[in-house]
Amino acid sequence: MTAIDTGPVPLGPTQLRRLRRDYFSSPVSTLISVLCFGLLLSIGWVLFDWGVLRATFAAEARQPECQAAGGACWSVIANRWRLIFFGLYPYEEQWRSALACVAVIVTMVLSCIPVFWTGKRLTAVWALGFLTFYVLMKGGMLGLLLVREEQWGGLALTLFIFVATAIIGMPLAIAFALLRNSTLPWIAKTTGAVIDAVRSLPLISILFTFAIVLPFVLPDFVLQEKLYRVIAGSALFFAAYQAEIIRGGMQGVAKGQDEAAMSLGIPYRHRVARILLPQAFRNALPATINQFVITFMETSLVVIVGFFELLSSANAAFGTSDWTFAFVEVYVFVAFLYFIFVFGLSRYGAYLERRMATGQR
Amino acid sequence: MTSILKTAVLAGGFVLSAAAAQAASETLKTVQERGALNCPGHTGSYLGFAEVDDKGNWKGLDVDLCRAVATAIFGDPSSLKIIPLSWAQRWPSLQSGDVDIIIKASGGTLSRDTELGLQFSSSYYLGTTKVMAHKELGLESLADADGGTICIPAGASQERQVASYAERLGITLETVAIEKTEELEDAYFSGRCDLYAQWGPVLAIARSISDNPDDHVLLPDVLAVEPEVMIVRQGDDEWLDIANWTLSVLLFAEQEGITSENVDEMKANPPSNEVGKMLGATPGMGTPLGLSDDWAYNVIKKVGNYSEIFQRSLGQDSPYKMPRDLTALWNAGGVLFPFVID
Repeated sequence: MTAIDTGPVPLGPTQLRRLRRDYFSSPVSTLISVLCFGLLLSIGWVLFDWGVLRATFAAEARQPECQAAGGACWSVIANRWRLIFFGLYPYEEQWRSALACVAVIVTMVLSCIPVFWTGKRLTAVWALGFLTFYVLMKGGMLGLLLVREEQWGGLALTLFIFVATAIIGMPLAIAFALLRNSTLPWIAKTTGAVIDAVRSLPLISILFTFAIVLPFVLPDFVLQEKLYRVIAGSALFFAAYQAEIIRGGMQGVAKGQDEAAMSLGIPYRHRVARILLPQAFRNALPATINQFVITFMETSLVVIVGFFELLSSANAAFGTSDWTFAFVEVYVFVAFLYFIFVFGLSRYGAYLERRMATGQR
Repeated sequence: MTSILKTAVLAGGFVLSAAAAQAASETLKTVQERGALNCPGHTGSYLGFAEVDDKGNWKGLDVDLCRAVATAIFGDPSSLKIIPLSWAQRWPSLQSGDVDIIIKASGGTLSRDTELGLQFSSSYYLGTTKVMAHKELGLESLADADGGTICIPAGASQERQVASYAERLGITLETVAIEKTEELEDAYFSGRCDLYAQWGPVLAIARSISDNPDDHVLLPDVLAVEPEVMIVRQGDDEWLDIANWTLSVLLFAEQEGITSENVDEMKANPPSNEVGKMLGATPGMGTPLGLSDDWAYNVIKKVGNYSEIFQRSLGQDSPYKMPRDLTALWNAGGVLFPFVID
C-alpha cells in the first residue's frame, strides 16, 4: 500500500507497457497516435513561435516594428492594459479599481476555504469583501473622489456583476427551489410559472428590459442606477436556472429522510438547512459549477446595454488608429483573463467534488 | 434577438413620445440642473467618431460635436458626460432621458422621424456607402467587377444597397457577409474578397491604416447616401434649435475663417456685423436660445470651428487623413452650409 504514496515513479517497464497498450497496440492506433501527437506539437509550436519567439513586447513599439518582427504584438497590451482592466474609470483613481479587484478575488478565495464554511463566517467575509469593493470603487467618502457606476469598467465591472449576481441569485434560487417544492399547489405552480417564464426568455432581452424598458414603466425612486437594474435582471435569470439545478439535487435526496426527520419532530427550517440542502447541493455540485461558469461568461452580454465591461474595454483598447491591427492579441489577452477565472472555478469545483465524495465512500 | 430588441425599442418609443410631448422645452432646463450634457459614446470604439485614448478620454468627430453642444450651454467642454451606448440602445436611451441628444453616426430616416418620435438637426456629415477594391484587379468602377466576391457587413443596410446596385448595373457579385468589423476587414485584406462595401468613413479609415494603403482603391460608385444628423426627442423645438445653431455656428465660423486661434481678435474687431453678433460683441445671439450671449465665442474658442474638429478627428491632423469630400462647405464643393445670422 505504501508504494502508492511515493509520488511519480520513473518511467518503468510497466508504464512503457501501458503506453504501448494504450497508444501503439495496432498499426492503425499507432498511426492515429503519431498523427494526433504531431498535430498537437505543430499547433503548439506555431502558437509558441507567434506568441513568444517572434513577438514584440516593447511598449514603445508600434505597427511597423511589430510587423517587422512578424509575431504577436504584445505592445498593445503594454500600452492599453489599463483600459482593459479598468475601462473608463478616471485615470488617476485607477489604483482604487485595482485594489477593489484584489478585494473581490481575496474574498472569493477565502470563501472557498473550508475554515470559513459556517453561515456567520461566510456572511462576514462576503459582507466585508463586498463593502471594501464598493467603497473603493464608488468613493465619495473617506476622502475618496466620487466615481459614479457608469464610469466603472473593465475587469473590475465584470467581477462586480458576476459576484453581485451570484450573491443575490443564490439565495433567490434556494427560495425558488423550496417554493416550487411547496406542498401548497398554488405556491408551487406560481413559482414554477415564474421560473419557466424567465427561462423561456433570452438573457439579452431580460437585460435590455431591465436596463432600458423598465424606466418607462416604473417610478423613479425604485429605479436606481442602471447597473443595479442590470444586476437584478441577471440575478433573476441566474436564480431561475439555479433553482432548477437545486431542485434536481433535492430530488436525489431520499424522501424517507425528510419523513424520518419529521417523525422526530425536527422543525422545517432545520430539516431544510441541515438535511435537505447540504445533500441537494452535493448532488447538484457539477451542474452548479457549470452554472457559475456560464454566468461569468455571460457578464459580457451587458455590453448590449452600454456597459464598458471586460470585452467592450478590449474593443476600445484596439479601437484606435495605432492598434486596430492588433485585435487578435487583445482578444487572446482577454481570453486568457477569462480562462484564469473559469479554470480556477472548475478546478475548485473538482476539489469540492473530491472533498464531498469522501463522506460517501 | 434583433426582433425582440426592436419590439422593446418600439414599445419604449410609443410610451415616451407621448410623455415627451408634455415635457416640451424642458431638456435645456434638465441639462442645466444636472450640470452636464449626457451624450452617447460607444461600447468599445468607432474609429474617428468615438475612440478612447490611453487615459480613458473620449475623442472623435461625434464626441467633439457633443463637446460643442456642452460648451454652448455651459461655456465649458468638460461639462459633458459621455455614456457608452450600443447601437441598439440609442433610441430607448434617448427616449428615457438617459442621454439628451444622439450624436452617433446616425442618419435621418423616415421611421426614426415618425414611428420613433424623433427630430433631427441639419446634417453634419454626409455618409456614403462605397466600395474598396484591390488595386491589382485594375477596376475602374463597380461595373467592371462582374463575378467578383464582395465582403459586406452582415445585417447592415449595405447588404441591401449592394444587391440593388448590382442589379441596376446588371452584374452578379458573390457576397460574403461577416458581422464583426475586424473580422470583415481581415477577410478583405487577406484576399478572401475582391471588394469590400462599407459606410464611407469606415472604409476610408480601414484603407488608411492598412499595411499598404496604395494597394487599395476606392471605387467612384456611390451606392447610397446617408446624411448623419444630431437627433433629439420630438416636441422640444427649443432644444433642437440649440443643436442646430451649435452646428451652424461651427460652419459659419469656418466659412468666415474664424478659428480657435484668432477668435479673440475677431471678437475685438469683427469684420462684419454678423460675426460681431455671433461672437457676442453685440448682444442678441444668446437670449433667444436661452443661452449666454458669448456662447458661440466659447464654442469656437474651446472646441474650434467645424474644420478644426474634422481635421483632428478624421482629416489631416488625424491618422486617417480623410479628405472632406462632400462634407466640405458649399464654397469648397461640399454640401454643408450654415444658416444665416441676422
